Amino acid sequence: MWAITGIIVTASFIAMIEVPPLLRAKLKGELWLFSILLLLGTVLSIAKSLQLAIPNPLDMLWTIFQPFSDWLYSFLK
Amino acid sequence: MTSNVKISVRQFTVIVMFYTIGTTILVIPSSLAADADQDAWIAAILGWVLGLLIVGFYIRLGRLFPNMTLIEYNEKVFGKWLGKKISLFFIFFSFICAATVLYYLGNFMTTQVMPETPIESFTILFAGIVVMGLRLGLEVVARTAEILFPWFLLLFIVSTLFLIPEIEIQNIQPVFEFGIKPIMNGALTFASTASLPLVILLLVFPAFVNHPKDAGKAYFIGTLLGGLFVIIITFLSISILGADLSERNMYPSYALAKKIDVGNFIQRVEILIAGIWFMTIFFKTTIYSFSFLTGLAQIFGFRDYRPFALPYGMILVVYSLVVYPDVVYMMDFDSTIWIPYALTIGLLLPLIILSVGSLRKKIKK
Repeated sequence: MWAITGIIVTASFIAMIEVPPLLRAKLKGELWLFSILLLLGTVLSIAKSLQLAIPNPLDMLWTIFQPFSDWLYSFLK
Repeated sequence: MTSNVKISVRQFTVIVMFYTIGTTILVIPSSLAADADQDAWIAAILGWVLGLLIVGFYIRLGRLFPNMTLIEYNEKVFGKWLGKKISLFFIFFSFICAATVLYYLGNFMTTQVMPETPIESFTILFAGIVVMGLRLGLEVVARTAEILFPWFLLLFIVSTLFLIPEIEIQNIQPVFEFGIKPIMNGALTFASTASLPLVILLLVFPAFVNHPKDAGKAYFIGTLLGGLFVIIITFLSISILGADLSERNMYPSYALAKKIDVGNFIQRVEILIAGIWFMTIFFKTTIYSFSFLTGLAQIFGFRDYRPFALPYGMILVVYSLVVYPDVVYMMDFDSTIWIPYALTIGLLLPLIILSVGSLRKKIKK
């Protein structure tokens, strides 16, 4: 519970620092990307604090590069 | 673009050097010893030469776009749509690398230095510093590198001098016991950990350096010096700890520094090595993050990456805990998947970009 509170407080701090200058400069695109990243960061952090499984990009790389790896090491072994 | 950001050639050299040393200095003796046993130091030298060739190739590539970053160049060469897709591979690579490097730091701290502190506290603190550096900008980071360099040199020279009396030359004999193949394997490991990630610097290299002409030389010298430091550490590790112990230790250079004993008085100064590592790893993480964020901003066509630094920090911390579920996974990944992945991003893609780019230039003429 404390972890989630902490994460939300951090996220609101970040929003408080970054959003006003972006609004003032009327940078709509930046604001969108910023919000998406912040939302992603908050959701991921909460998921991690609840020990939920988060998709690991390395698993994907593992599937893609396994054949290449086997081929490469067949030369070196 | 943020092209008014300029760093000097000397600063760039130091950054390249720190970047090459990065995580390599603490991890590589172990994986080299696993590949090539007592010939690990030969593998390191070979890998270093290989790395210099790779950097020569990057410099050649960088000359094609003296005022642009790789991301902008991709768009110019492949057109908007395909160029952005290709750029995504690069920034994905830098994100993965930043996350893994942060994990390395956290793992090192929790297993070796402060075992009772949870890993999150290290990654969050460290990511905090990285984000701070990012928000202050590349110029500040570059100046920091310049200031920290003499300290790095001091720590390195002191620990090396203290270690020289411990060298036992029979540890590196017999030379070439298992032939050339394990050495080649080790050289490839070395190049893929120390040199292939240098491709990410193409997002900084010609565009943000004030004299693009000399920048190529700086790139080369940085790799040259950085590699030398790593070779020295590998040699010390093999000749003092022996191949077996270097291989079994996850952080041989740290174990190495525990051996320092001058007149029963100067002992247990291994934190010196850790101090070297904190500096180099800070620059490595920051440069990865910087290229990720500038790349991201450029793909979306934004002028400044700074607003995204803070939320990026949050994502980075989470992913540093996610990318490697445990140490076994880390070792498996680093020894099987990392090399082909680094080869694809660091050699294959730039090769395609170079050939298409030069072809286009010729057609234009």
